[in-house]
Amino acid sequence: MHGVNSLILARLFAGAWLLLPAIVYSASIERVSPDTGLSSWKSEGDALEFELVQVLPDYVRAVYAARGLPKAVVDKVSSYCVFGTILHNRTDRPLSYRVADWRYITADGVSHRIRTKSEWVSEWQDLGIAFRWSMLPDDQTFEVGDWGQGFTTIGLQPGNRFALEYSWAQDGKAETRTIKEVRCAPTEAPEHE
Amino acid sequence: MHQLKRLNMSKQIVLFIAMLLMLAATHVLADAEESDLGYQFSPVTPLIVAPDFTLEDMDGESYELHDYRGKVVLVNFWATWCPPCRKEMPALEALYRKLDGNSFAVLAINQWEDPDHVFAYTGELNVFPTFPILFDPESEISALYGVKGLPTSFLIDKKGRLAYRAVGGRAFDHPAVEQIIRVLLAKP
Repeated sequence: MHGVNSLILARLFAGAWLLLPAIVYSASIERVSPDTGLSSWKSEGDALEFELVQVLPDYVRAVYAARGLPKAVVDKVSSYCVFGTILHNRTDRPLSYRVADWRYITADGVSHRIRTKSEWVSEWQDLGIAFRWSMLPDDQTFEVGDWGQGFTTIGLQPGNRFALEYSWAQDGKAETRTIKEVRCAPTEAPEHE
Repeated sequence: MHQLKRLNMSKQIVLFIAMLLMLAATHVLADAEESDLGYQFSPVTPLIVAPDFTLEDMDGESYELHDYRGKVVLVNFWATWCPPCRKEMPALEALYRKLDGNSFAVLAINQWEDPDHVFAYTGELNVFPTFPILFDPESEISALYGVKGLPTSFLIDKKGRLAYRAVGGRAFDHPAVEQIIRVLLAKP
């Protein structure tokens, strides 16, 4: 009998360890900042750790206005649904991503491409502006310990919902993940305690 | 009695598994929060000569990279509006103070901002940076170095070659960073 219990125990423990990745690592976790009331979505457990943070249109305006960019540029960027995007290579091997491969899927099921940093920078260059920072780089290879951040711009109005499909490649293999029910920041800061 | 004993054991197993899961979840969250700034630098292969540059500091004094041949140089591309750049600045100063005089130099190359703004920012720091802060107003030098995002740092060896690169903020006061630099310093 003791032997049988030990066997059951061993199987349960084995099962628990198999369950760990499924429960802890599978989905992105939404958090609401107690300071700002804004939401963020973080996907952990993958080679590429991915975090999206809602950014208010007013904050976007302030960031670009403080850089001395013209009003037309400030207004255009802040008309987009902007997220702070933070990416980490959490493995001991290089990986790479390309924003051009990512898509956002609206409620009607339509898949849209994301406006890249190069497209923004090219538009600014046409206006004689050399500023090329703040947006998430188009593509990067992250070596061990590397990480990066920047704004991602989605062509939607404040408060809209969508699913974000992002991908990366490592060891010649592409991986794709989807974060469902992402919401653009509201027009104004949400009320919170 | 036998059934009761089995029930108690099942409860204990469930409790134990729940504890394991909570422990694992706590570790994952703690790791994510604590490791915002990493410490790894990746070797640049093959070794290539670091692009030379001439840039000015806040006082208009010129600095030329080739003047640093024979020293190990940490080049840090940064801006005041970049949160990890701000976060790593105190540790960069600590590293500089610790290794200065050992043929080690730090050159912090600001992107896009004007000297007045940066001067005001450095005044807010608990410890004023004593290494040169240089200005790359049109981001030409960062483009030469292939910098895509801020902060990005490079370690240049005594022969003026790009030896290591780090993309994203780093805890410059981490012993592993100091060790890499000391190894470079020990080389001819």
